[in-house]
Amino acid sequence: MAGDLPLADVKVLDLMWVMAGPSATRVLADYGATVVRVESTRHIDTARTMAPYYGGTPGPESSSFFNNLNAGKLGVTLDLTKEAGRAVLLDLVRWADVVCESFSPKVMPAWGLDYESLRRVKPDIIMLSTCLMGQSGPLSGFAGFGSLAAAISGFYELTGWPDRPPAGPFGAYTDSMAPRFAAAAILAALDHRARTGEGQYIDQSQAESALHFLGPALLDCTVNGRVQGRAGNRDPQLAPHGVYPAAGEDRWVAIAVGNDEQWQALCAAMERPQLVRDERFASSSARLAHQNELDAIVAEWTATREAEAVEAALQARGVPASAVQDTSDLYADPQLNHRGQFVQVAHPVHGTIVVEGSHFRLSRTPARIERGAPTFGEHNQHVLETVLGYSPERIAELAAEGVLE
Amino acid sequence: MLSPYRVLDLTNERGLLCGQILGDLGADVIAVEPPGGSTARRIGPFYQGEPHPDRSLFWWAYSRNKRSVTLDIDSDEGRAILLRLVEGAHFLIESDPPGCLAGRRLGHADLASVNPALVYVSITPFGQDGPKAGYADSDLLVWAAGGPLALTGDEDRPPVRVSMPQGYLHAGAEAAVAALIAHHERERSGRGQHVDISAQQAVTQATFGTALATPISWPATRRVSGGFRYGPFVIRGVYPAKDGYVAILLLFGSAIGPMTRRLMECVCEEGFCDEATRDKDWIAYTELLFSGKEPVEELERVQRLVAEFTSSKTKAELLQAALERGLLIGPVTTIDDVVASEQLAARGYWQELEHPELGRSFRYPGAFAKVSAAPLTYRRRPPTVGEHNREIYIEELGLSEERLAGLQASGVI
Repeated sequence: MAGDLPLADVKVLDLMWVMAGPSATRVLADYGATVVRVESTRHIDTARTMAPYYGGTPGPESSSFFNNLNAGKLGVTLDLTKEAGRAVLLDLVRWADVVCESFSPKVMPAWGLDYESLRRVKPDIIMLSTCLMGQSGPLSGFAGFGSLAAAISGFYELTGWPDRPPAGPFGAYTDSMAPRFAAAAILAALDHRARTGEGQYIDQSQAESALHFLGPALLDCTVNGRVQGRAGNRDPQLAPHGVYPAAGEDRWVAIAVGNDEQWQALCAAMERPQLVRDERFASSSARLAHQNELDAIVAEWTATREAEAVEAALQARGVPASAVQDTSDLYADPQLNHRGQFVQVAHPVHGTIVVEGSHFRLSRTPARIERGAPTFGEHNQHVLETVLGYSPERIAELAAEGVLE
Repeated sequence: MLSPYRVLDLTNERGLLCGQILGDLGADVIAVEPPGGSTARRIGPFYQGEPHPDRSLFWWAYSRNKRSVTLDIDSDEGRAILLRLVEGAHFLIESDPPGCLAGRRLGHADLASVNPALVYVSITPFGQDGPKAGYADSDLLVWAAGGPLALTGDEDRPPVRVSMPQGYLHAGAEAAVAALIAHHERERSGRGQHVDISAQQAVTQATFGTALATPISWPATRRVSGGFRYGPFVIRGVYPAKDGYVAILLLFGSAIGPMTRRLMECVCEEGFCDEATRDKDWIAYTELLFSGKEPVEELERVQRLVAEFTSSKTKAELLQAALERGLLIGPVTTIDDVVASEQLAARGYWQELEHPELGRSFRYPGAFAKVSAAPLTYRRRPPTVGEHNREIYIEELGLSEERLAGLQASGVI
C-alpha cells in the first residue's frame, strides 16, 4: 500500500455487505487503509446483484453499484460455514487492527466469531458491528435495508406533501448517514488504542445514528410535545422557498430567498421592481404569510426559462438558486467534475470503469483511487501467501476443500 | 476516546454536527461564537415556541458536549485571543464562504504558521474552489445541486426535500470523518492540513452512485412517490396499512428475490393472490421485465395485490410478520412513535440532560454508537451564549478579570 497516505498503517478486515457497511470502509480505503473484504461466493453480496451493470447484463462482476462501494479493497472468498474457513478468518483477525461486520446480530455469535472470541485471539482488536437496529432490543432481528430503517426512524413520515401519502427519501436513506458515524467511531477507536493499548467493541444501530439527522424534530417532540409532519418544500422561516418549474420536460429549479436583499435581487432578476414595494412581500414574515401568491409569481417567471439560466441569473445577483440536477446532470456538473467526483479506474474484467472519487479533499495527503472493487477471490493468493504467510501447499489444500468459496 | 484533543468550532448552522460528533467521541469542543451568539441559534423550533438564542432546538440538537465563548475575531484583540486558542488546539472547524477567513488573515495558511499541527476543516456549499464555489447557498440548494432532490417526490409534483433540512448535516458528518483521517496522519507526521468539505459532494452520498449509470448508458433513475422509476417500470415503496403506511422493498435478483417470494407467500396465504402469481420467478424477474417476457402491467398488478394485503393489516401486524418471516417491511413511523419506540427504550437510547437555566431536564437522542471501553457520554448540555467565557478566558488562558471586563465593555467578547 502507498506509504504516504494517511491511513497507510491501518489494516481492516471487512465482513460487511450491501451498502451501509461497505461505504464506511470505502472511505478508509480511499485514504490508504488496507481493507481485506471477505465474502462468500454462495451467499453473494446483494450489492453484486444490483444495477446498473457494465455491458448491460447482470452478473456478480458487472455491478457498477458494487464496484463503487468497494473500490480499492482487496477481495478474499472464504466459506465461513466451514471450520477451516473460520480458522483462516481468525488468522486475518490476528493481522487486523479493525474487524467490521454487518450481519444480523445472531450470525457472528453462531460462528463463534463474536467480540469476546475475537478478543481472545487478538486482545486489542477493534470490532464494529453495524445493523439496522443494533445488537440488542426487541427489534434487533429486524433485518433488511436502509429504506426500512428510514421508514421506522421517521424519515418517511417527514418527506413529501402534507396532503399526500409519504414520499420517503430516495433509496436506503439511512445507509447514506450511518457510514460516517461508523467511520468516525473506528478512527476514534484507533486513536484510543494507540494511546492506551485498549481495543473496543462498537455496536452501531444504523437507525440510532441516523436519528441525529432528525434532532430538532425529535427535540420538538420530547421538549414541546409537538409532532412535526411533512411540509413539502416549505421552510418555516424562509419565503419564497421551493422548487419551481423550468422549461423542458420534468425540469425544475430550487430557489431559497434568505433575506430582504435576496428578495429585492430576485425581483430585479424577474424584472418586477414594483414587487419590492408590495406590502404583501415587504418583510420575511409578510412573505411567509403570502407564500401561495409568491410561489405563483416565481413559477410564472421560471416556467419559460431553462433551469440553468435561472440558476445563473439569480446566482449573478446573489440569490440562492440551483437547477434540480438529475443523475445525468450530476455526471456532467462542472463543479463536481472540478472536484474529481468521478474517476476512471482499472477493472480486471471491464477494462476501465468509472467510480466516485473521494467526496472531500485533504490538502497535503489527497485520496488515491486506482482500481475498482475486487472480483471474487481476486486477492486470495496475495492475502493468504503474502499477508498470512501460508505455504502454497496449504493454500492448495484450502482450495481443494472448497474453503475458498 | 478523543479526550486529549481540543476543537475550536467556528461553524454556524452549516457545520455544527462535525464538532458535535468529535465532542460525543470525547474531544473538548469550544464553540467560538460572534458576540450575541451564533446565527444557528436563530433557527427554530424553539423551546416553548419562543425565539431566544438559548432556546433554539436546532442549536440544542447539534451543540451538546461543547463549551461556548463569544469573540469578535475581526477586532485586533479578538484576533489575538483566537490565535492563542489556536496554539493549544488540534482542530479548527469553520463554515464561512471560501476565502472569507483567509481574507481576514485567519485562513489555513495563517493559522498553520501559528500551529503547524492544526487540522483546519472548512465546510462550504461547493468546496473551496471551482466554478460554483462562490454560489449563494441554502440547504435546499445543496440538496438540489447534489442530486437527492431530483430523486424524491410525487411524479406529478415538483421534486420534494426532507422537511427537516439534511444537506449540511451530511456535510458536517463527512467533515468529522475527514478531520479524523487528517488527525490520524498528523499523529505520525506531526503536521496538520486543510480539510476541504463540499456539502454538494457530501449529499451525493444519498444518491447511492446513481449518476454512474450515465457513462454506461444505463437507464436513469427517476422519482416516483414512495419508490422510484427504473427503466420501463415503477417500483412502489410505500403501501397503505390499516392505520397508516408501511415501506416495502419489493425487488428481485438472487439476494432480494427470495424475500419477495416470502412476501408473496404471505399475500397468497391470506387469499390476496393466486398460486401462479406467488410462484413467479422473483429471482430473474428484472430480466423478465426488461426483455418484455413479463409485461409491465403484471408488475403493476402484483403491487396492487400487495397493497390490498397490506391494507388489511395494521403497521404493528406487518412489522410482526416481517420479524417472524423475514419480510422487507418497515412501518412508516411518526415522530411521536419514534420517541415512544420500545426498541430505543430497551437500548437506553434517550439521554436526559439538565438545563439548569430553565430548571428542567430534557430527553435528547442518544449516543450514535455503543462503544465498550470508552463509551460516548453526554457530558454537557448545549451551552448558553458565552457561557464559558470566564472559564476559558480567565481560568485557562489566564486573562485578568479587568482585561475580560474591558473586552466585554468594548464588545470583543
